[in-house]
Amino acid sequence: MTRKLPHKEALSRYRPVADRPLPPSAELGEDILRTYHPDYIPDRCVNLTIGPNAGDPCHRQLAEILQSDARIDEADLAAAPEEETDVLVIGGGGAGCAAALEASRAGARVMLATKLRLGDSNTVMAEGGIQASVDKDDTPQMHYDDTLKAAHGQLDRGLAAQMVMDAPDVIRWLIQQGMQFDLDQYGDLISRRAGGSTAPRVLHFRDYTGLEMMRVLREAVFNSDVEIRDYCPAVELLSDQCGHCAGAVLSSLRHYQYGLVKAKAVIIATGGIGRLHLNSFPTSNHFGAVGDGLVLAYRLGAKLRDLDTFQYHPSGLAYPLHLAGTLITEGIRSAGGYLLNAANERFIDELKPRDTVAAAIIRECLEGRGIDAGDGTCGVWLDTPGLELRQPGIIESDFPKLLHLGTKCGIDPRQQPLLIHPTLHYQNGGVAINGEGASTVPGLYCVGEVAGGVHGRNRLMGNSLLDIISFGRRAGVAAAKRSRGATLRQKKIAVEHLSALRRELMLADMPLSHKGPLLFPDYAKFEKDSDYDGLRQSARAAG
Amino acid sequence: MWAAGGKGLEAALNDPAAIIGMVKAAELRGLGGSGFPAWFKWNAVAAESGDKYLICNGNEDEPGTFKDRTLMEHCPHQLVEGATITAIACGINHVVFYINPEFNAGITAINLALEQWRASEWPDRIAKKTGLTIDYRVQPSSGHYIGGEETAAIESVEGKFPFPRSKPPYPSSYGVFGHPTLINNIETLSNVPHLLRNGVEWFRNQGLGAATGTKLYCLSGDVLKPGVYELPMGTPLSDLLYGYGEGMLVGKKLKAVFTGGPSNTILTPKDIDVPMDFESVAARRSALGTGAMIAVSQGTGIVKKVAEYVSFFAASSCGQCPSCKTGTHNMSQLLDRIGTGQGRRTHLESLINLCNILPGSGRCPLIDGAVKVLDSSLYHFREEYEQSLRD
Repeated sequence: MTRKLPHKEALSRYRPVADRPLPPSAELGEDILRTYHPDYIPDRCVNLTIGPNAGDPCHRQLAEILQSDARIDEADLAAAPEEETDVLVIGGGGAGCAAALEASRAGARVMLATKLRLGDSNTVMAEGGIQASVDKDDTPQMHYDDTLKAAHGQLDRGLAAQMVMDAPDVIRWLIQQGMQFDLDQYGDLISRRAGGSTAPRVLHFRDYTGLEMMRVLREAVFNSDVEIRDYCPAVELLSDQCGHCAGAVLSSLRHYQYGLVKAKAVIIATGGIGRLHLNSFPTSNHFGAVGDGLVLAYRLGAKLRDLDTFQYHPSGLAYPLHLAGTLITEGIRSAGGYLLNAANERFIDELKPRDTVAAAIIRECLEGRGIDAGDGTCGVWLDTPGLELRQPGIIESDFPKLLHLGTKCGIDPRQQPLLIHPTLHYQNGGVAINGEGASTVPGLYCVGEVAGGVHGRNRLMGNSLLDIISFGRRAGVAAAKRSRGATLRQKKIAVEHLSALRRELMLADMPLSHKGPLLFPDYAKFEKDSDYDGLRQSARAAG
Repeated sequence: MWAAGGKGLEAALNDPAAIIGMVKAAELRGLGGSGFPAWFKWNAVAAESGDKYLICNGNEDEPGTFKDRTLMEHCPHQLVEGATITAIACGINHVVFYINPEFNAGITAINLALEQWRASEWPDRIAKKTGLTIDYRVQPSSGHYIGGEETAAIESVEGKFPFPRSKPPYPSSYGVFGHPTLINNIETLSNVPHLLRNGVEWFRNQGLGAATGTKLYCLSGDVLKPGVYELPMGTPLSDLLYGYGEGMLVGKKLKAVFTGGPSNTILTPKDIDVPMDFESVAARRSALGTGAMIAVSQGTGIVKKVAEYVSFFAASSCGQCPSCKTGTHNMSQLLDRIGTGQGRRTHLESLINLCNILPGSGRCPLIDGAVKVLDSSLYHFREEYEQSLRD
């Protein structure tokens, strides 16, 4: 292990200095990503053996759950209550709410099922803001160019172009719903510059933009006709005789029983995979982010893409240890905050794209210029006192959430720098979709983080909040349209696709010991206290 | 066309009068589900005069049956040859390929085969030898399940909704537009060229035991390798399930087999040794039907499965006979209620009552099929129904 400076000692050496020019030694070199980014760790990938993506590279841990056996059997659904609706939205974050709202407004009966409560999601943790080219010197073309460049060119260009063109209307829509943004003295929107972008384009509200967005969406959903099922994670999708998506099996955590919801269209908005802790990284994600949507969609035959690339956010808290992984907004760096190594030197232009900055931080740590967080993990300084020196009062006025986090840590970020290390933040790939969020399985729509192709191999700050609303709204309208005139009668709706899954697993000699979707990470078994699994067994015995 | 193509037709042209005798001696059955001796209908039609019709029934729409589709898509020439031999044997001059409209590939394949047929020297040779000019056409059916019933198919070919007619008169004397009509399943007709080419003895030897010929079995459900298997008639069910199908999934045990698409009595694991020919399966109070075998494993809820099939029958009822129209609908609703945990004992009792009064009350056997699958599931899995009740 390389040598590291202990936290205390490093802190005593630190002095806030207003002006720190980037030293010429901060050359990145060509291969910084290839050498240091976790996406390039050797052996991290395997090729999938079953399903529509067979042969494609996929992260080892993700492959394990994608190729797992189902949690349920047909016998578990004996005597399970059934309900019908037009559009079923799975996931109660920003994308799910936007989709549910628009589907409901388009005249469909909508049910929204969420694993925990409405708004328990990664949307509320989005701090930095939302990108939209509304400034007079900015254009959607520039926004598109930046997105394409950050993505290393490997995105679905149609989707990205549509999203950046949607952006100004998304902001208008959000304001119409009642969302607040930071405004200047003339009442115009204020924007920040995101890492990797050529113009200030990130619109924000303090440093809890996502929370404000979720507040508004949540109230709008409560005030709409959308029927909400909370504490009801989806454990399987339903398919009709043509293999089209026709609803989902929900598992009520309140009543410990399965229920069937038959729907004419299903929108999956279940978010990402952070809580799988890929490559043993801490994560900034919500407890529910264990890749359920990917597993459900994959089993039904939806094509996925870019399963080997994930975003590691450069500024995840590294100290204190019990809060490791907690996100610190990129807004700090946008506002002019520096990153410093143990020698109190800057080592990178902080406004490079996220993957490059994360790789640079990992390089500092691996090459012995990191600071020990106390348990062998390592980090670098986020120079908040320096920012405060340059722009007095900015932390209190613009970053109240950071101050709150400081209180939780027992650190005043205006006095003391924060130790940070990259944290697993976002799943760049996901279910392949078209412009309306439709997956390759008819009747199945995927929006938000669970969908892929919009951000390529690296996402820009603020593009995810834009993504969820832009595609959420479109998918909601498209799903409502699909449900119009369609009928569920005379359709054979069941979990027949599970037989196909098990057949494929057996023929490929894969183990049937892993069960998916996970619903919760191992260390947060909410089911532990229930006889939930017992219920399954008794149902089996009866069968 | 493969090398043997046309040999059967050659044999048929050499001695057209002997064909029906061969079919009788070979004990060729109607393989669309009835198992009715083919020669009987052929004889009846051959005895008539004037315009005659042959309907090649490819309406196949039952859950779990997909054999005719395979035959049409992959061996359309064999079918055309078989239909032609049949037409020669019975003096039929109109051949209608009556096919489920969703089988696009099958329809295309048959049209292509017919084009090649018309361009060949066969039509001339047949006309010279027998004086018969046969016209062929492909007619997509309406896609209704009930359209597969003989008399419903006749209505459909006439351009009307496929309502089954009451019998008699039988189609052999009064069929399409009042003309004598022969209706045979695609699989039955596809067997004819081989019978003619290789002779009766060969055909009889293809079957196991007393059974003759081969049969296409459609294996589906929770088995490792589902699919269409052409096996000797009379192959034991266990061979199909565990030999060709490579057994059940995930080490699960067999719970039941729904046979013949699925309008017959359920087979249970104790019947696993049954030879799959018409007589042997009938001896176990079931029927071979179309040869569809849907194997379900211990992880399956029988009530829901039966509810699914009965709702299929309810949706397929043409609505002509009140007992069938309301009976299937009622059964389906009661099953849904019990299957979703909302059922009470009175519902179960009504179901049992329906099973007693409904059979035989329709013009066609649709209602009987729906009752049979329900009745036998009640017989074998009564406990499961009771457990699903609320009280």
